[in-house]
Amino acid sequence: MGWKFDKPLHEMASEEESTAMLRQWESEKHGGLWEGNNRLPLPFTYLIALIVLTAFMITMPIWGQRPNAEHYAPMVNEMDSAAVQNLATDEEKMKYLTAFAMKELATASDPRGPGLLERHPITWDDLQNIAPGIREAQTSQKYPLAFYNIVGDKIALANFEGNRTVNGDFFGEPTNAPARVQPWFDKGMIIDLFYVSYFFIVLILITKRLPSFTRKPDMSKTS
Amino acid sequence: MLLKLLFAKEEDIPPGSATIFFGYSAIFWFVVGTGLGSFNAAKLAFPDFVTGTEMFAFGHMRQVHVLAVILGWISMAFAMTMMYMTPALGNTKLWSEKLGLWNCFLWNIGLSLGLFLLWIGITSGREYSDLIWPIDLVVLVAVLLPLGINVWMTIAHRRTQGIYITNWFFGACTFMVMVTFVVGQAPELFNLTGLTEGYLTFWFAHNVLGLWITPVAAAIAYYTIPKLTGNPLYSHRIGHLHFWAIIAFYSTPASHHLLSAPLPEWLKSFASVEGVLILIPAVAFVANILLTMKGRWSMFVENIEIKFSVTGVLLAIPLNMQGGFQQTRAINWYVHGTGWIVAHAHLALLGMSTALEIAAVYFGLQQMLRRKLYSLALANFHYWFYIVGFCIYWISMTIAGLIQGAGKVYEVPYIDVVVAEHPYMIARWVGGTMVFTGNLVWLYNMWMTAREGTVLPKGRYSHELAYER
Repeated sequence: MGWKFDKPLHEMASEEESTAMLRQWESEKHGGLWEGNNRLPLPFTYLIALIVLTAFMITMPIWGQRPNAEHYAPMVNEMDSAAVQNLATDEEKMKYLTAFAMKELATASDPRGPGLLERHPITWDDLQNIAPGIREAQTSQKYPLAFYNIVGDKIALANFEGNRTVNGDFFGEPTNAPARVQPWFDKGMIIDLFYVSYFFIVLILITKRLPSFTRKPDMSKTS
Repeated sequence: MLLKLLFAKEEDIPPGSATIFFGYSAIFWFVVGTGLGSFNAAKLAFPDFVTGTEMFAFGHMRQVHVLAVILGWISMAFAMTMMYMTPALGNTKLWSEKLGLWNCFLWNIGLSLGLFLLWIGITSGREYSDLIWPIDLVVLVAVLLPLGINVWMTIAHRRTQGIYITNWFFGACTFMVMVTFVVGQAPELFNLTGLTEGYLTFWFAHNVLGLWITPVAAAIAYYTIPKLTGNPLYSHRIGHLHFWAIIAFYSTPASHHLLSAPLPEWLKSFASVEGVLILIPAVAFVANILLTMKGRWSMFVENIEIKFSVTGVLLAIPLNMQGGFQQTRAINWYVHGTGWIVAHAHLALLGMSTALEIAAVYFGLQQMLRRKLYSLALANFHYWFYIVGFCIYWISMTIAGLIQGAGKVYEVPYIDVVVAEHPYMIARWVGGTMVFTGNLVWLYNMWMTAREGTVLPKGRYSHELAYER
């Protein structure tokens, strides 16, 4: 298998191989069929680039994100206060607590907190159900609150294991434990970037091993 | 006739026998499948239609319709095309006509038994994997494996140096559908439950479409369009893009069917990106075929096989536009679990895939029978009843799905949504019944072709001769 790399985006097979392949296309019919050696028209090439870009843009994890225990912690800390207990109905309590937590989270480094709380409202009963779990997590300091998922009235350690944490990070205990949060932009995006990149690298290698699209087989020779 | 050939020596079996039996079996199951579809649609449109008998309840009949179409019509039409295209493209003969005939015989027996069991309520209870495990084993051992062996051995014994793109797909897809089938049925074979069962069930449902139903149909177009137009395939290199993009991007997005399931978020996002990237093989396929049509567009009007083929290729455009985007979270939350998805599934199976297969069955049966089609008028009747009926079905179910989506999001009482959908359910039944009627006409036309079609002179193709009726 001969390679040449002087014009890698033009043709990578050796001259002998490319010529032999053209001769084969010219001489060989498959049940009366033969194949041309045209390129994908440029507008379609741009369309494919647009598709790849769109695929990543439209699936960015803007949707489907859920608040974690860290977002509900201000509510739990405030729920037993007189200001809340004096409110007449559960709805009023939750309205007050949601506004309170959104205000608390507005100054956090991650700006998504208030929006997540707004899109994932919980009831007073649910808050009472998750409060013991959040308080226990705050007391034990085993993992950061951000590691705990909240779905409805349930709290659970996130079912995800990322990079190992460094000593001293995340309260220092347990040392070297895997992180259970992902960067907001990476919910499978990085692995996909590698996958798609590998695909195009392999595809370019495959297609550039063919005779260049500028070399057309002479079909008049086909028997 | 079939029984006699089953026990004949290989050299005594006329070439093309397996093609012919697979071809007529496929049409028969298409009539059965669409007939059941029409019956089921009538039950949704008119709730009082055939009540009181458990076996005729929608819950019994629906799986029978789905599997009759997938395993009966679509897969048998694929087998039929493989029986004649694979050897033709390798300038050789089918590796074993006898294996092909036994394959066809056992396929019909196994499928009949499996559908009967579903009808009487013996089912695995998993969507698209409804058959119970003993029937699964029959499908694997008597249906998929012999088909694969015949295709692979024919390719291995080809008399050409290169392998034409259609045979790449045939060889790869017969292998991939086996892997898909075995993994997909694993929950029942190994008693897997819960999320694993859910994921593997839809891993199968996704991949049977992505690695079997649509790519084999596309492979068929790579044969029929150049063959009938006389043009060379526009591009060998675009074929590479199509084939490898199918392998890379269609095998990975299964979890986009389960965006609300507690699967890992990274897996769902990964799948969602791959889901959009399905548009890449679609662009490659559609571009390659439509550019192959250059200078021969008049055949879209004049030639029945091209008419069906190009229709199938054109339907691949909305199919992949829908498929690519409806699986993203932004759109899926609205259309998931609604009639939109039913419309999309029919666009894939009854639209794109079926149109391409019909063309190949028309062409292949005429070649193997060595007879010209009995009636072009009946074939055109078939085409128009098929395409108009399909469009009525597709559009009405798409609208019904959007109504259901709105009902779901705005928490409209369920019964109000049912009432709002009623006209579209009637339209669905009308459309489906038109397709069924067209298929009855097709079966008659092909039956008459075998009996009274004009004999093709040696060395001539059917499309080279003028119609006599």
